[in-house]
Amino acid sequence: MRFDEAKFLPGGDQFILVQFGDDGSIDLNFLALGLTAALKHDQTRGVIDTNPSYNSLVVEYESDDISYADLQVELERLIGGLGSVEELELESRLAYLPVMYLDLWTRDCVADYSEKISPREYDPDFVARVNGLEDAKQLVRVHSGTEHWVVAVCSTPGLPLLRALDPRCAITSPKYNPPRTWTTLGAIGVGGLSTSIYTTPGPGGYNLIGRTPVPLWDPRQCHPIFKDRVVLLDAADRVKFVPIDAEEFEYIEARVADGSYEFNITAYQRFSVGAYKKWVASLNADGKF
Amino acid sequence: MTVAIAVEKAGLETSVQDFPGRYGFWEQGFPPSGPFDMWSFRLANILVGNEPAAAGLECQFMGPTLVFSDDCVIALCGAAMNATLDGAAIPMWESLTVTAGQKLACGFATKGARAYLAISGGIDVPPVLGARATFHMAGVGGADGHALKDGQTLHAIGGEGVPGRRVKEACRPTIANGKEWQIEVVQGPNDDWISAEGIERFLASEWKLQARSNRTGYRLEGPDWLFAEKASTKGPEHGEHPSNILDHGYPVGSINLCGQTPIILVNDAPSAGGFINPFTVPSAAFWKLAQSKPNDIYRFHRISVEEAQEMRRAIDKLCSEKSIA
Repeated sequence: MRFDEAKFLPGGDQFILVQFGDDGSIDLNFLALGLTAALKHDQTRGVIDTNPSYNSLVVEYESDDISYADLQVELERLIGGLGSVEELELESRLAYLPVMYLDLWTRDCVADYSEKISPREYDPDFVARVNGLEDAKQLVRVHSGTEHWVVAVCSTPGLPLLRALDPRCAITSPKYNPPRTWTTLGAIGVGGLSTSIYTTPGPGGYNLIGRTPVPLWDPRQCHPIFKDRVVLLDAADRVKFVPIDAEEFEYIEARVADGSYEFNITAYQRFSVGAYKKWVASLNADGKF
Repeated sequence: MTVAIAVEKAGLETSVQDFPGRYGFWEQGFPPSGPFDMWSFRLANILVGNEPAAAGLECQFMGPTLVFSDDCVIALCGAAMNATLDGAAIPMWESLTVTAGQKLACGFATKGARAYLAISGGIDVPPVLGARATFHMAGVGGADGHALKDGQTLHAIGGEGVPGRRVKEACRPTIANGKEWQIEVVQGPNDDWISAEGIERFLASEWKLQARSNRTGYRLEGPDWLFAEKASTKGPEHGEHPSNILDHGYPVGSINLCGQTPIILVNDAPSAGGFINPFTVPSAAFWKLAQSKPNDIYRFHRISVEEAQEMRRAIDKLCSEKSIA
């Protein structure tokens, strides 16, 4: 639920946390991203960095340039200027990401966890079951049947938090407890409300359902797409997962390695929250993929 | 004239840092990095005649051994590491000339934990995303993205440094070997998830710094936390444990409650995650974190946002020519 008025909470001497509400409603993220864009456009005095998430935004400020109280006034002014959530329009690109669902690498990850840490069901079967889907194959149809919204890019460089824009494709699942000690690079995981993509081969808690051969960031900035930016995705972009088989995975992997892979990502488009919500309202929520 | 610096021994995760670190890429998952003790770092640069922002070295617990190819001016500030130049002890908090071929050897930190080495002109590495600071977990910035390695060669820009300057005693951070530190905290942002009794318990207790602490996070050991009712009546999207919350951004310095373990998120911390942050350590207290050692005891002292900002202004004022004798 959206709070009647945004809440402002201090973080030490340099940060202010703006909360738009206290749940996972996607409207709250639209508002957080709307405010992020408004701050950039406004070039608000003293604001030096922003960090949006599900229902909130952390703003970092220089207290020599603006006081906490004055920053709150500025933020209230900008939030007032956003209007209703339906009026929001956000700059958004659409990225097509090839994914091999139910792949052997993430299957190995799950098997290794089962053997060494705690026995568990194959993740795609588990996620399908807790979401009332027939089987892992339907999970793939559902997960690849929607555009995903980039809620935030956070935690580690380039790591996107995604959620299905089509409510018929929303998947929720409990995360690993205890977490995995390692995860294959490029693994696609689902946990809580989110889908994410492992941009580093580290520990993790999401249920693994596939793997992409496409890098989401490149600190060496080798490929031309990373010439002006180190990470592929920003918050408010969209991702469409494109199912591929093992042969295609190898083909793309080789083209990524030799620098000839052609990233498939559109130019910026205006994403109208009002039009989106109208479309969502028109859907038959019981429709099956 | 460029000075080549041969890294004979790298020390313990010695890294190139600049002030204030990497900004503008937080929303893509990049933390600020930068020197942990920005007070000592800036004074070292000012001593040798650099801009406070110039890239220098952060030495942690065990410093490096370096050989300089050409004459330059250096200064060491922060933790005492029994540094020697060709075997002769050198003073801290003073700029001095190094001549071509001389060897600077740092040892274990005997007082404090982190020392900062400034070299005239600053360390010459290409900026990545606008900063020379190393974020070594991601392989970004500094010397090829990582901590220094034995046998590596760095370069400093060189140029006219000023030897024979020292920082006035009263203008330095007080780095002692006391095991107890008073660390300032500002309450929030998620203090409403902790009960009133839990807030008082946090402020009244001693917290021991665990060995598993680094530039990402400082883990603390102490009494159990007491949660407010909200922490157990929240919606399912917030997760199962009382310390869980729907993913949100983490202010740098926030005390991140991971189950029952508080972790102070510092320079290289993750930008976001799913745990609450009941308190935040303000930037003016970071030098104390940087200079403390595992098993040191922290007691937290609550101050207001405005007091925290005033403290930082006071430190900023000390990072200037006025502090130099």
